[in-house]
Amino acid sequence: MGSSLLSAQDRQTLVNVVYAAFPHSTFPRGPYERAADAVIAEAGNDPRFLAQLLQGLVDLDAQRDAPFAELDAETAGAVLRGADGAPFLTSIVNSAVVTLYSDPEVWDLLGYEGPSYDRGGYVDRGFDDLDWLPDPKIEFEEEVPAS
Amino acid sequence: MTRFEYDDSDVVVVVGSGAGGGTVANELCQRGFRTVVLEAGPHLTGPDYHQDEWPAFAQMAWGDTRTTSGSWQVATDFPNLPAWLVKAVGGTTTHWAGACPRFKAHEFTARSTYGDVDGASLLDWPIALSELEPYYDKAEIKMGVTHRHGRPPLPANNNYKVFANGAEKLGYRYYSTGPYATNAEPYDGRPATLQDGFNFQGDKHGSKWSTLVAELPKAEKTGNLDLRPESHVAQIEHDAAGRATGVLYIDRNGTLRRQRAAVVVVAGNSIETPRLLLLSGSAQHPDGLANSSGQVGRNYMRHTTGTVWGQFDKPVRMWRGETMAGVIADESRLDTDRGFVGGYYMETISLGPAFLAKFIAPGRWGSHISDLLDGYRNTAGMWIVGEDMPRADNRITLSGDVTDQHGLPVANVHFDDHPNDVAMRTHGQRQGASVYKAVGAHKTIETPPYPSTHNLGTCRMSQRPRDGVVDRFGRAHDVPNLFVADGSVFTTGAAANPTLTIVALATRQAEYIATELAKTL
Ligand SMILES: Cc1cc2nc3c(=O)[nH]c(=O)nc-3n(C[C@H](O)[C@H](O)[C@H](O)COP(=O)(O)OP(=O)(O)OC[C@H]3O[C@@H](n4cnc5c(N)ncnc54)[C@H](O)[C@@H]3O)c2cc1C
Repeated sequence: MGSSLLSAQDRQTLVNVVYAAFPHSTFPRGPYERAADAVIAEAGNDPRFLAQLLQGLVDLDAQRDAPFAELDAETAGAVLRGADGAPFLTSIVNSAVVTLYSDPEVWDLLGYEGPSYDRGGYVDRGFDDLDWLPDPKIEFEEEVPAS
Repeated sequence: MTRFEYDDSDVVVVVGSGAGGGTVANELCQRGFRTVVLEAGPHLTGPDYHQDEWPAFAQMAWGDTRTTSGSWQVATDFPNLPAWLVKAVGGTTTHWAGACPRFKAHEFTARSTYGDVDGASLLDWPIALSELEPYYDKAEIKMGVTHRHGRPPLPANNNYKVFANGAEKLGYRYYSTGPYATNAEPYDGRPATLQDGFNFQGDKHGSKWSTLVAELPKAEKTGNLDLRPESHVAQIEHDAAGRATGVLYIDRNGTLRRQRAAVVVVAGNSIETPRLLLLSGSAQHPDGLANSSGQVGRNYMRHTTGTVWGQFDKPVRMWRGETMAGVIADESRLDTDRGFVGGYYMETISLGPAFLAKFIAPGRWGSHISDLLDGYRNTAGMWIVGEDMPRADNRITLSGDVTDQHGLPVANVHFDDHPNDVAMRTHGQRQGASVYKAVGAHKTIETPPYPSTHNLGTCRMSQRPRDGVVDRFGRAHDVPNLFVADGSVFTTGAAANPTLTIVALATRQAEYIATELAKTL
């Protein structure tokens, strides 16, 4: 798992970084915590990334009078944009974009239904239930004439 | 499980089990030819597949390192992932969607039709549509393509309803659920689709045609197929007379094996096929096997692509149902007055949240991205796919310093967009956005090309040996018993998704090999 060099406070900061990178006001903290833990696990296997991460979190804390984790969402977003392109942030974002949006709780929040095969697909469960437009033709007409 | 001897020099060796290789192998097995298929990837089947985008990708996509160069955006966004290809039995037909348009007649004569386009290496195919038509029929029947030969169309899914209504409003006429190689009703011993929505992750149900579920099991039944998964071909060997004698491959235990052969058919896809030929250089073939023309690896094409998403006030649920069962063909017409040559199709597409977040604007993050994801349920998607210009310098070469797990130099994929590609993409994305706006989209988003799913042209067919690598049957100009059976033989790319044409060409090639081989055996 993670490294003893990362404190509980660092983890909280990281959770806030992930939130600031992909802010969804409707999401609870759980998915962001899981995404942060996945970042920590990756860093645990990659000393260079871990070193960058430790330094990067310190740098984020130094940007305003209050530590990063205590900033309001707008200020946190601005601080993070200021760090765009920093290797530690790129690594965090590349990891979190995968973990966060592969999280079944997030799928649920977004309305996505996840694996469907075990439930028989959607053939009888609404693959064609859109009702705010008329049913279009489906037939294929052969040639598009050359102009 | 049939096994042939390593030193049995009467067998046909096929490298790769995807659209081209799997088809040639089955056609040869049906005709009684003993065939060894060497496939680099593992033998996975429906129950193994994950309906979860990243685990599915990690399980099956070709993840061995490749490198990139050139001005194309993929080199920046995905420097070590130039292409989305599958490394498994069945090749990329396990992840493909199933869209099956045919080429148009003029697309076989791109050079004569479009003229001398600056910065492009256009060439006419050495065959005409009329020669391929009987094989298109065979391929469509083999693959159970909907709308053709009595196969019923797929019904409209939600994503298609948005797409088709927009098309109608915009005045497009040639829209439909499209020729598509997935069963709308049971066919060829395989069931009808459950509309489960995971085409790109391998179809658990087996209603989608792939060489894994259709060609290879049929070949197996003949007793003539020796399928060897986890067998990576490292080199093709030849004798002093210039004939291929067999291949060297690394088996699942890491042991280098020699399989002798009467004929070698290469079908590793348009990146691995030229890589293998370049790796097979010798004193007689100093620049790589079958490369006296210097054309091996050149003219790499990937289709002009792009994606348009539309977001609406009401739910779409694009992830339900067959991913690409929707096409607008109007822009595929021959019409050089649009500011570019060549045509393009618009086809429905859907990604789950995990892939959408990654691909919608690669490398970007912030509320711009999360706001789009918040609209996920109400999103419709389409993909633009059109003819791109071959260029001599868009090419596959061997990396000078990066090697794979076997110590073999990896492929570098160099690509610069041609101005024609850029003009077409711009046009396509504008038209796509108009389709969605016509039915009330409050927002449209344009996504740049993904890692290439259509990889073409790197061993092109040519009339004259100096213009290309293989002849009209896919036989190497330089080596009489060496064939190429995959998308690398495409002289030009046309607008159509390539697989139907790969299967048609492979079917025709197998017939030819069978006739030729019968003479010599
Ligand atoms: C997501 C997705 C959707 C697609 N949708 C469509 C669609 O709707 N319509 C369409 O027409 N096309 C579609 N395609 C493209 C289609 O999958 C390809 O055109 C087709 O599979 C290419 O066939 P091929 O024979 O050239 O190569 P592949 O099918 O890629 O097969 C090549 C095989 O060779 C093996 N191999 C490579 N090198 C070696 C070696 N050295 N030794 C041994 N084995 C080797 C590989 O592991 C692989 O299994 C899609 C592709 C993707 C990724």
